[in-house]
Amino acid sequence: MRIGLVCPYRWDVPGGVQYHVRDLAQTLRGMGHHVEILTPAEREESLTDPFITFAGRTVPVPYNGSMASLQFGPVSAARVRRWLREGRFDVVHVHEPATPSVSLLVCMIATGPIVATFHAATTRSKWLAAVAPLVQPWLEKISGRIAVSDFARRVQVEHLGGDAVILPNGVHVPFFAEGPTLPGYGRGTGGPPTLGFLGRYDEPRKGLPVLLRALRTVVQEHPDARLLVAGRGDAAELDRLVGEELRPHVALLGEISEADKAAMLRSVDVYVAPNLLGESFGVILIEAMAARAPIVASDLDAFSRVLDDGAAGVLVPRGDAAALGSALCDLLADPARRAELADRGAAVAGRYDWQVLTRRILAVYETVLPPDGGVVTAGPVDDFPAVPPTGTAAGRPRIRRPPR
Amino acid sequence: MTSEFVVLVAAGVLTVLLLWAGWTHTRLRRLAARVDRAWVALDAQLRRRAGLAEELARFHPAALGDAAAGALAAAAAEARASAGGDRELAENALGHVLRELPAELPAVPASLRTDLTGTQTRLALARRFYNDAVRDTRQLRGGRFPRWTGLHRSQPLPRYFDIDDRCTPAPRSADPVGRPGAGRP
Repeated sequence: MRIGLVCPYRWDVPGGVQYHVRDLAQTLRGMGHHVEILTPAEREESLTDPFITFAGRTVPVPYNGSMASLQFGPVSAARVRRWLREGRFDVVHVHEPATPSVSLLVCMIATGPIVATFHAATTRSKWLAAVAPLVQPWLEKISGRIAVSDFARRVQVEHLGGDAVILPNGVHVPFFAEGPTLPGYGRGTGGPPTLGFLGRYDEPRKGLPVLLRALRTVVQEHPDARLLVAGRGDAAELDRLVGEELRPHVALLGEISEADKAAMLRSVDVYVAPNLLGESFGVILIEAMAARAPIVASDLDAFSRVLDDGAAGVLVPRGDAAALGSALCDLLADPARRAELADRGAAVAGRYDWQVLTRRILAVYETVLPPDGGVVTAGPVDDFPAVPPTGTAAGRPRIRRPPR
Repeated sequence: MTSEFVVLVAAGVLTVLLLWAGWTHTRLRRLAARVDRAWVALDAQLRRRAGLAEELARFHPAALGDAAAGALAAAAAEARASAGGDRELAENALGHVLRELPAELPAVPASLRTDLTGTQTRLALARRFYNDAVRDTRQLRGGRFPRWTGLHRSQPLPRYFDIDDRCTPAPRSADPVGRPGAGRP
């Protein structure tokens, strides 16, 4: 099958959607399909893979604490049209098409089966409520909609008025399941009990301060316990947070590569996710489960879903350092329970393996393919307004002439 | 000046209305085509399921037990014959019989079993996409502009197709298509 994937965010910046598209493309190619990607980037030179086509630069717009990237206009439209014509795809799979991005352009221009994946959870709902009526005419062309989580589906249902199949983000399970541990660490080698934390440690909503308070309780019962902290942040600030008393128990790994992350998750005896605020989807928890790390996590909605309501990991009230401390102490003292959680976790992670999910996504493609074949092409040039719909939007649409 | 102005404004309004009508017509036509495509896909999966159920009942009655095989054959025949009548009811009955079959059927060839599971998965997807297309169409046709102008009034309003397409009787068991809201409030 010839598949065209469209990523609306800059390829050379790390991000969940970019990783999703990259991993999906990789897995599909591994199954023998022809996959091409259309994506914007900061610099065209950074796209070295011949299967990736440069869609132009995006205009970053600060929105809701993060940057939304906008891309629109005749030049981008021309690139999209060329990509569609040359690609001759059986199906085009766009990601996050509800923003004025290259994904929406593809929806406007393409004629043929379109599948869309919606990633955004609740945060941008105001934005979505405002743009939904403007983009609705083109989202109507999408034949199959996928949401990565219940939250993403809810946003979709409430603001865009369509239903979606839930197919979560995937994880390369074998990448996390097998491999070396960090040098000097190792689960089950009789070393000191090790806890792991990953994330921006200077962001309070990631919950590291709560974990550090809990750690004070833990080191009273397990005097040799250690905490590995990985992620970006201000090291001096972390040092101040840790304080004199805990300093020998905390090791900062800093920003680490994917391979080191997998090694770290294989090394820890317990992975801790003390987040205080909404994560739409706990990919890191799935990665930890794939690496057979028992998990203690705060009881966020997303986490308790990933952890099967607590069957595959211990859930504690968010922000409650005492509860977190005692949960950690209990778990560190109970190897049988840890082994049980690791087994359940591995079974849960298996459901999120890219191999499994890609087969389901292929089933979606097959469902939207017309029985008599035919490929996705670009519609006639006067098919859509070449300028972004402004003001009351589709205010001055051009009439589309039927091809026959 | 005033009369010219009025004419100009009227012409402008008329142009905008015409453009808008043309655009709405394009959307309606596109949606009608999408509903048709989605129905073809759904219909194909429904027929495929009925065919596989017949095959299962005809060639493997021993594996199913005679009573179950009889019920399956009857339900499949009913589903096949019901294209004009109450298809939802017949397809629901077939789905129910299929769900009641034991999860493990070792005497049935693996290829047939995978075929059946795959078809059920695709059926659930096709049904969701079809209903999605119907919803979009009904939403647009129910809007003020299409109602006033009578665009596509001659076309029948597409109907939802509602059946229970779960693959297993247990509400929260493995869900191959990730149906949203399964077992959740």
